[in-house]
Amino acid sequence: MTGWVNGIGWVTAAGCNCGRNTDQQPLLPGTLEIPKRKQVFAKPDMRFGRLDQFSRIGLAAIAFCLRDAGEEAWDEKRPIGIIAASRYGCLQTDIAYLQTLLPEHGKLASPNLFAYTLANSFLGEAALRFGLTGQTLVFNQDDASGLAALHFALEELTWSEQQAVVTGICDLNPPPELAIGDECPGSLFLLLGKEPSTAVTSYGKLELRDGELFFSGARVADFRSLVAKCLAVGV
Amino acid sequence: MRRVALCRMATVTALGDGLDQLWERLLKGDSGISSLDRFGCDNYVSRYAACIDNLQAPEGASLLDSILDRVAMQLPDIPADSRLLVASTKGEVDRLTEVCRQGNPIPHGVLFEPLLAKIANRFGLTTRGCNINAACASSTIAVARGAAMIAAGEAESVLVYAADLVSEFVFSGFSALQALSAEPCRPFDQERKGLTLGEAGVALLLMSETCAKSRGESPQAYIAGWGVANDAHHVTAPARDGCGLMLATQQALKKAQIETKQISAINAHGTGTVYNDAMELTAFNTVFGDSLPPLHGVKGSLGHCLGAAGGVEVAIASRSLQQQLIPATVGCVQPEAAGQGQLSTASQNISGDYLLCSNSGFGGINATLILQGVG
Repeated sequence: MTGWVNGIGWVTAAGCNCGRNTDQQPLLPGTLEIPKRKQVFAKPDMRFGRLDQFSRIGLAAIAFCLRDAGEEAWDEKRPIGIIAASRYGCLQTDIAYLQTLLPEHGKLASPNLFAYTLANSFLGEAALRFGLTGQTLVFNQDDASGLAALHFALEELTWSEQQAVVTGICDLNPPPELAIGDECPGSLFLLLGKEPSTAVTSYGKLELRDGELFFSGARVADFRSLVAKCLAVGV
Repeated sequence: MRRVALCRMATVTALGDGLDQLWERLLKGDSGISSLDRFGCDNYVSRYAACIDNLQAPEGASLLDSILDRVAMQLPDIPADSRLLVASTKGEVDRLTEVCRQGNPIPHGVLFEPLLAKIANRFGLTTRGCNINAACASSTIAVARGAAMIAAGEAESVLVYAADLVSEFVFSGFSALQALSAEPCRPFDQERKGLTLGEAGVALLLMSETCAKSRGESPQAYIAGWGVANDAHHVTAPARDGCGLMLATQQALKKAQIETKQISAINAHGTGTVYNDAMELTAFNTVFGDSLPPLHGVKGSLGHCLGAAGGVEVAIASRSLQQQLIPATVGCVQPEAAGQGQLSTASQNISGDYLLCSNSGFGGINATLILQGVG
């Protein structure tokens, strides 16, 4: 199973950016700054400011990823999916929603927050903004390598009619009591195409063989090292 | 492509434990929807839900534990090397709500990773699998992925487990969105005014035909086709033209290599909200044209079981194919014009080998499965 890494974008403790702008590793421990609209979209965007923090970092990273791949602008909807791995999902949004629910026994429950208490809601935001009609889901899995999303995406890319899949990770800083100590909070997505991009230079080929991932022929140990290898290509 | 057999099923719903009881009560036109006493409803637009009888959480734990036990008891001796796909939108949200109410630290147990471990252990599986969150299409997509894994030769046996609760968290949210019906829901009825929540646990054991044969399992149906697509339209509202559902349905038909006229019935999502049901009828009328088969929805009987809805409906659909019968659409007294002649408050006879199930959800997601009978 193969896919071409055609774009990379992120919102992490290192800031928000596209892969073509830097070769510095973006997956770092630290505190995540939630991006403002102006850091992500040039034009005014009422919806972005209303999003919960989890959706904001997810949507922003997808936007940077598609921009990096030359795929942000569109005229017709496209069979592109989004598969995101998350450990905590929208837990922080759940807690924020509960803070509106509990004090007055539901009288002040926020419908706006509730709409984002599904971990996949931000994928709907991304799908409608960028015209993506593929499979969109968030999954949770015990995965120290961070590569599970790529396995999932390569399989779906092979087994379905989707032309590309945006795939990666998305997590806010967890509540302190749940932190495991070595987290790199944020969201980072790759655009995996069935073919190399015709709009930009592809970072390289990703292969799934016998349960192992290889980038440009070299075995990949974890998500962080894959990102480093991609950025080192210097497209 | 290898054939994918649906070998065993277990359900726990407001209409009892086990598919036999569920099926029998659906055919009687029973509804599990009743007044809710799990939490106070004074500040909400509805007081109705379809709750599982005698559900009790162990001290400090979630009601999901009880559902898991009751489902697992029905499915002993699952092959230990089965891959696990879980589908739950909110997991142990009752436990999260309680710790937040008490101002206690959030326990690790409310995350999905420990839930996956718990489910794998309960079924005696060696791998923990993953939880798929795609709103109300979660378990439909889990079945689709399980089928794809088996069809491609990446797995021999897959256990899909789905469960979601009637919780104050979700109830209050749908109430705030004005999406709950003040009365029990009426899917596809002209006077429908919203959904009624339900809860369920369901497990579906999928196997390759070879694996099923070697383990002495009897296929109950086959998963012949599947499709998943996003509307790319809105986060909480469906696309009125049904574009995503149409796309998912066309993918499923193509995968199954069949034509629309070969579908004998549709088990629709049918939430009872004005826009969802209209969208589904638009999509199915567009795809099927003059060959629109009988269709039904079970949420007037079971409520909307969120991430577990699709899994329960697959189990019901397999029984429909075996008995060539679809249960009533409870609450649909005056069907929408676009569904007249196809919807009924009584069970309907069907004739054919294929049945289509679909679910749609927040985030614009749509998923379609096509089941094939074993006859």
